[in-house]
Amino acid sequence: MALRTEELMLNMGPQHPSTHGVLRLIVTLDGENITDVQPDIGYLHSSVEKMMEHRTYVQNVALVDRGMDYLIALNNEEAYCLAVETLANIQVPDRARYMRVIFCELNRIASHLVWLGTWGIDLGATTIFLWCFRERERILDLFEKVTGGRLHHVYFRVGGVYADLPEGWVEACGAFLDYFLPRVGEYDELFTANPIFLARTQGVGKMNRMDALALGASGPVGRASGIAYDVRKAAPYEVYDRLEFDVPVRTEGDCYSRYLVRMEEMRQSVRIIRQALRDLPGGEIRTRVPMTMKAPRGEVYVRTESPRGDLGVFIVSDGEETPYRVKLRAPSFTNLYALTEMMKGWKIADVIAILGSIDIVLSDVDR
Amino acid sequence: MRLLNRLTRGVTALAVGLGLTFKLMLERKVTVKYPLQKLNISNRFHGLLALPVDPETGKDLCIICFKCERICPDRCIHIEAEGKGKERVLTRFDIEMDKCCYCGYCVEVCPTEAIVFVPHYETSTYNRSNLLYDLDDLHQAAPKEPIARGIFGGMKP
Repeated sequence: MALRTEELMLNMGPQHPSTHGVLRLIVTLDGENITDVQPDIGYLHSSVEKMMEHRTYVQNVALVDRGMDYLIALNNEEAYCLAVETLANIQVPDRARYMRVIFCELNRIASHLVWLGTWGIDLGATTIFLWCFRERERILDLFEKVTGGRLHHVYFRVGGVYADLPEGWVEACGAFLDYFLPRVGEYDELFTANPIFLARTQGVGKMNRMDALALGASGPVGRASGIAYDVRKAAPYEVYDRLEFDVPVRTEGDCYSRYLVRMEEMRQSVRIIRQALRDLPGGEIRTRVPMTMKAPRGEVYVRTESPRGDLGVFIVSDGEETPYRVKLRAPSFTNLYALTEMMKGWKIADVIAILGSIDIVLSDVDR
Repeated sequence: MRLLNRLTRGVTALAVGLGLTFKLMLERKVTVKYPLQKLNISNRFHGLLALPVDPETGKDLCIICFKCERICPDRCIHIEAEGKGKERVLTRFDIEMDKCCYCGYCVEVCPTEAIVFVPHYETSTYNRSNLLYDLDDLHQAAPKEPIARGIFGGMKP
């Protein structure tokens, strides 16, 4: 009698610790090999776009930093404020623009640290997790001194930022950067040449450039596949055109190159912050915008480079105090749908490594 | 030969990793034994909300302009007042702290700094009704330590 074999449907999640939130992956297996992966999302849907229609333009800042990606609150606020400012044609003072860049880049480092730490845990390395969170804690302390919040800041305002830097903060930030850069070297030492890490990541979860383009992958995921696209370079916002930095691009498209791209991005962020701290001008930090501001009729789409990719905000205004419609283009969402392409043909043990490497936050996927 | 290569690489990586962790073991510890030790938190920290009274007159600083009630994104502030003109007094100032998202708009819009953030964070409770802070609770929560004032919008105090 011949042995009967059949494909196996495996539910991974929604309560799996390695899915970084509540994500259900429907994995179709042929033996140990993956033939298909379908992400099932929506468990963390918070309806933030709809809620934004019922709150004023000013109040919405408080909503975008927790309704979307909670790890990159400041980048979300940045995208939203930029959209409203473009819509209402509000000029932001130079100092505020530099401060926004500093905070966005610090948030980028913090986000990449969370990614590196949790991905390390997924791959079975505990030390890196503790190290990353040690550094992240110092970034959050820097945030707390200025914004009063550690995760949800509500710091950026339409027209600027709400409070100036306290005394000694610039020096404290510089000291942190001096402390942080050697630490990235330590992660490098620990991971980059480690044979176990290489075996788990090198060549795993490949995605070529055409697929990445077709699926709309952006950010580090796209750049690891050879798409040399960074909104900060392609369409500079705030003061990115005045700052010097490189955009790391790899062509392999595997988990390892995604790791390398993010490691290099952390270094580049340090470089950007150093320049911004050096050039930080004095003066006003905020254009006076009434708390009950009304945006003129019209619509606007603004894109920014968040740590996960191309973060876009689309606002339709009908001239009232509240937006008529808001659409948030979440980078995690598009990157998640590249997952199917990456995972085909790999073993079940690689699912976690590949899923971790695209760095999704489920609150950003579901919104 | 390949096996030997892999072996050397593995041993080196192990040695490097262990060396790093050992070096770290000798450094100063960064962990804080939380309930016993506490970190110094910033004077701008978004903790509890409080209504400090005027130290000279002993009255509320609040001028009952309802700005905070209106700006609150979660609509968790409820204000009622009685009387007219100068005799106008607060009869109700409730903050539902379970709804509050600690955004700080109420603190920002307040023209007299009557509502402030206190850097106090241990507010968890077993009973949800304890999270409704009325006027007395908010007076009691008034900061004992100095807090950052007049920081909003680049204004100088």
